[in-house]
Amino acid sequence: MKALGNRSGLPLKQLGLIAFGGLLIAGIGLGFESAFLLGLAAYTCAFAIFALSVNIMLGGIGEVPLGQCVFFGIGSYAPAIVMQQGGYPFEVGILIGMTVSAFLAILIGWLTLRLTGAYFSIVSWGLSGVAMVTALNLEVTGGPLGLFGFTRLAIGPFDLSSPKVYFIASAVILLVVLVFLAHVRSSRFGNALESTRQSSHLAQSLGINVFRERLKALVLSAPIAALAGSLCIPYTQIVTPEVMSVIRTVDALLAALIGGTSLLIGPVIGAVIFTILPQLMHFDANVKVLVFSLLIIFIIMVAPGGLHQLYKSAVARYRHGKKERA
Amino acid sequence: MTMTKFAVVADGVEKRYGGVAALKGVDIRIPEGSVYGLIGPNGAGKSTMFDVLCGITKPTTGSVNVLGMDVTKLPAYAVARRGVGRTFQRTAMFKESTVRENLLYACYGKMQHSVLHRIFRLPVWRHDMAVFEEKVDEVLAVCGLSELRNNEASSLAYGIQRRLAVAIMLMNDPKILFLDEPVAGMNEAETAEFIQLLRTVGCGRTIVIVEHDMAAIGALCDDVMVMVDGRAIVTDTPDRALKHPDVITAYLGADDDQRW
Ligand SMILES: Nc1ncnc2c1ncn2[C@@H]1O[C@H](COP(=O)(O)OP(=O)(O)O)[C@@H](O)[C@H]1O
Ligand SMILES: [Mg+2]
Repeated sequence: MKALGNRSGLPLKQLGLIAFGGLLIAGIGLGFESAFLLGLAAYTCAFAIFALSVNIMLGGIGEVPLGQCVFFGIGSYAPAIVMQQGGYPFEVGILIGMTVSAFLAILIGWLTLRLTGAYFSIVSWGLSGVAMVTALNLEVTGGPLGLFGFTRLAIGPFDLSSPKVYFIASAVILLVVLVFLAHVRSSRFGNALESTRQSSHLAQSLGINVFRERLKALVLSAPIAALAGSLCIPYTQIVTPEVMSVIRTVDALLAALIGGTSLLIGPVIGAVIFTILPQLMHFDANVKVLVFSLLIIFIIMVAPGGLHQLYKSAVARYRHGKKERA
Repeated sequence: MTMTKFAVVADGVEKRYGGVAALKGVDIRIPEGSVYGLIGPNGAGKSTMFDVLCGITKPTTGSVNVLGMDVTKLPAYAVARRGVGRTFQRTAMFKESTVRENLLYACYGKMQHSVLHRIFRLPVWRHDMAVFEEKVDEVLAVCGLSELRNNEASSLAYGIQRRLAVAIMLMNDPKILFLDEPVAGMNEAETAEFIQLLRTVGCGRTIVIVEHDMAAIGALCDDVMVMVDGRAIVTDTPDRALKHPDVITAYLGADDDQRW
């Protein structure tokens, strides 16, 4: 691909972006001292990872995966359960959560991905309800009270109970997920997803097994959602059936829409706006819902491509204006 | 007498949608390497016949053999992978993408790399991209789209969009190409150019075309089949078919705007 390589064969632009991301992480991680801000920033990274997972379905294949919170929930419960009930370390729980959610995604996808549009969304929503009721009623999940009082939240030598370490670890994981997804997008699989989203008829006529590619998208998105669920634990310190709530998916969907679903980084931008803004403005929870509902209506009406589209058209207008004046 | 080889052999094809019979027992034989026209008034069942021949729609009864495959038993994507290309009356391209991206998506069948190959830039991925670069230049040149490779598909003129639709299919080197009303809505110059393109493209492959523009049909097709109300009424060369008394009767009975 001409756009990807230069003569030395190294993807300099991509490496530059990764370096920039690394510097940004180091800058925030070392520059800020407030435990509150660092914790919030770490949580924002975890939420951004979840928004990216949701956007694999939304921006990737054009479906609204209301049940995505199930995978997030599994990612939260798995480490909590293996730590509390089995005495295993946090990291093992993260891996178990990701694995279980991937297998569950195969099953759920097999049953639901033949549906499209509202039908898929509604069935997917229903599954999140089932998951929440299950979590409420099982003993191993701690019922309505949930699980809390974790003694060791660490990934290898990195102790996540330190806000600084927690932020840097989450941000680095977010960066790795972004780099991974960038490659997915520019691969044969990513091309198949994009063609399926734009026209499944045409994709099928090009030899693409549309159902299988859609299933692969869900199976890819599930462990990423689970990873996000695990990374939220050091911030929340508790895992309750609430993690399976469809509200969480809606939040992530809004974040992706605000930032722009067609842009890889869109959901991350949206997640930052979505978690930081209400904190800065000291919104009440109800006011937050109101403000974001209005924002989303505004965005869908003015710029269905999200803030990214607004930015692009502003730049285009600016350039155009400059040309006219010249 | 030499034996003719057929790219398509279908017998007794019926397709019912609930109470509506779109196809009422159609037999069709399309010689390999020919340009074959399917004509008839709107609602005659031409698009449905295309869907059946491409494996997109399964016939209610009847046998359908295309390039030696029983397409009634294969999913549509599998039929497409084995050399059957088709363009649609409406969405024939990926509107939100550039010309080049359209052809990249179309190259799916020629590529083998996985996400891991892509991440580590392994030889499989490099090879795939080299194959694509070579093929895309060739197809763009054949279709006269080389200058437009970075233009967004939705911004192209209608006649050029139809050429892009053909280019998309050519990426997979189909042995047989089904075109549903490709020159509908084109002006005269665009139609003439498109006919020229199909003559180039038709070399070495079978082309089946649904079209209302009889000049285009006459210029391109070796044989035509006239369909009316789910049945094939006449199969002959374009000249003779259009003079056939049954065909004239059928079309006199049709509304003005359904005439050719
Ligand atoms: N999916 C469908 N469901 C119900 N009826 C259909 C469907 N597809 C086609 N038909 C009917 O079959 C008939 C033939 O349609 P079509 O093949 O599109 O004709 P043509 O392409 O020759 O204009 C029409 O009467 C149409 O209403
Ligand atoms: Mg038609």
